[in-house]
Amino acid sequence: MTVFNPRISLVALACAFASPSLLAADSSLTNPNISAVLNGYYQTGERPLSEASEGFGLGETELAMSADIDDMFYGKVTAVVETHDGDSELNLEEAFIQTMAMPAGFSIRGGRFLSDIGYLNNQHLHTDSFTDRPIAYRAFLGGHYFDDGVRLNFVAPTDLYWTMGIEAFKGESLRAADEHGEREFKKVGVYTLYSKIGGDVGDNSSWQAGLSYLRNENGQITAHEEGEEHEEESADEHEGHSHAASYTGKNTYGADFVYKWAPNGNYKYQNLTLSGEYYRLTDFTPVDLPAEDAPSKDYHQGWYLSSVYQFTPSWSAGVRYGEVDTQELHDEHFHGQKLKESEVSLAWHSSHFSTVRLQYTHQNGTNFDGIEDDNIFTIQYIMSLGAHGAHQF
Amino acid sequence: MRINSNVVKLALVALSASYTGLAHAELNVFACEPEYAALAKELAPTAKIYSATTALQDPHQVQARPSLIAKMRQADLVVCAGADLEVGWLPMLQMKSANAKVRSTEQGLFFAADQIETLDKLANVDRSMGDVHAQGNPHLHFDPTRLLNVASALSAKMSQIDPAGAANYQQSLADFTTRWQAAIPRWEEQAKGLQGKKVIAYHSSFRYLFNWIGIEQVADLEPKPGLAPTSGHLASLLTRAEQRDILAVVVASYQDERGAKWLGEKANLPVLMLPMSVGGNDSSKDLFSLYDSVISLLNGVK
Repeated sequence: MTVFNPRISLVALACAFASPSLLAADSSLTNPNISAVLNGYYQTGERPLSEASEGFGLGETELAMSADIDDMFYGKVTAVVETHDGDSELNLEEAFIQTMAMPAGFSIRGGRFLSDIGYLNNQHLHTDSFTDRPIAYRAFLGGHYFDDGVRLNFVAPTDLYWTMGIEAFKGESLRAADEHGEREFKKVGVYTLYSKIGGDVGDNSSWQAGLSYLRNENGQITAHEEGEEHEEESADEHEGHSHAASYTGKNTYGADFVYKWAPNGNYKYQNLTLSGEYYRLTDFTPVDLPAEDAPSKDYHQGWYLSSVYQFTPSWSAGVRYGEVDTQELHDEHFHGQKLKESEVSLAWHSSHFSTVRLQYTHQNGTNFDGIEDDNIFTIQYIMSLGAHGAHQF
Repeated sequence: MRINSNVVKLALVALSASYTGLAHAELNVFACEPEYAALAKELAPTAKIYSATTALQDPHQVQARPSLIAKMRQADLVVCAGADLEVGWLPMLQMKSANAKVRSTEQGLFFAADQIETLDKLANVDRSMGDVHAQGNPHLHFDPTRLLNVASALSAKMSQIDPAGAANYQQSLADFTTRWQAAIPRWEEQAKGLQGKKVIAYHSSFRYLFNWIGIEQVADLEPKPGLAPTSGHLASLLTRAEQRDILAVVVASYQDERGAKWLGEKANLPVLMLPMSVGGNDSSKDLFSLYDSVISLLNGVK
């Protein structure tokens, strides 16, 4: 995670924003798209593995700039200002270039970008219909997985949408805990493969389904020394608030789907989105783990199902259920953990660019961070200014 | 590793499929709106044409959905209204479809609004004004003269990207122009009685139509462009309607009728749902019958 001196960087960004000519005009070669997302909340508790703490807080305040660089390349920078315990940090969430003119449906993206595994991961947090990512994302991907690397993507020339890609990343945020600081981590730690298909059913509905695989060379715990206390990085003990995943394994398998419906396919007035994802992480225990110390389950898994209905242009409501079933290493033994989250949200959209959301989350945990039966209420606003960004499906 | 080799195999099958596809030289056209699919059909009757939206879908709010990415992936030519109408979804489709041919207007990307002078261009745009288009009103297909200029430019674009078919495109354009130019005075004659009439309409969807036939839109059901009618705003429209000079309340086929119906009932005004494009009602099967239908519907309440 790049951490700049926040004061200087914010001044620089403020200067960039003070140029009104950039904001007024449309995106073209000389006028990049510039946008900002403002995000604030108040909540009565803290969801585990989330970056949003109890009480008042700011979510990710996002500043993005994108444009065609020339006729071959497109570039985008997304800076995120985060505030934690009184400190402001400026992080780069995206800084990538992408080819726009490769033949035969191929494209290459390089730099820092969001991995295209799963359904939600390549979307920005501010487009979500809930205040936090599902627990499976928070546990296995650090909320959303972005990293420094490269992607090769192919879109097939078929009427049924079919895309597939392969990515390689540094993988620092997905490294297994290394409490002795002795491990030689591989420098290219993460490889992913994904494929998605999708299409329409009549005029009213559209769908997409995907499969992904993530190979994490640094995801398995290596050393297991007798008589020493080991602990996987646990929920509330992150260094600072890194976006690191809390549970890692050598192999991650994922499946995702999304289905959208609108009367006559007209999304303006009413529409429905159903989505779900499933992840399973395997090979997380140390290779030399004695058989008697083996966990009762040799995988971590998590999933969610979500449904959001926009019933007028100004109002939408959503329900989501998600859970994770994980193994935590503690005192030489693995202990099973489980967390279930049931959530409802109601959002008011004054326009396309502003949302005020009320969300209720009920958490039911077993051996999970002391959570047994918790209720959290959150009220949040998310507003965007500047260029009208195009949204993904 | 089994997954890996399967993926490679499938990719190879897909690639070979694309090469057999190249044997057919028919132009593959992706139209953002049905009016441009219809225009492309007039100018290239044998082309493979796909419309991303129907006349029942608001083109401001379209999902950059998988089927559209797949269609754009295969397109030789993308024809859209432009003037930022598709700004919320077209750039995403271009990015995801990885089709270099339709990246820029120098090649296979065509914006109708670039070919003509749009109405209501704004020097300064502020979000407090609602969802307005700085580049002017993009719903230009209801101006027959402007549309003819667009047709001529589109035909030239087709010849540019498919030189082998140029003679055919020119022939089709000449044919379309003759029929269109014959239709314009007929429509103008039919619409004569509508001149100077006042309507309340939803959005500026029929800005060009009203401008052409001399109808005045005295109020908008939307409090601000892009925002749905509110009860307070409707109440103010009712006050306006009480001047008794309004012909009708007009909505487009993709717009919510509820506000218009409420106003129509309270103010005792007819509510007209006009087809926004080809396919917007049963009789609008091409551009000619779309114009016929819209004018006859308006005449029906005169």
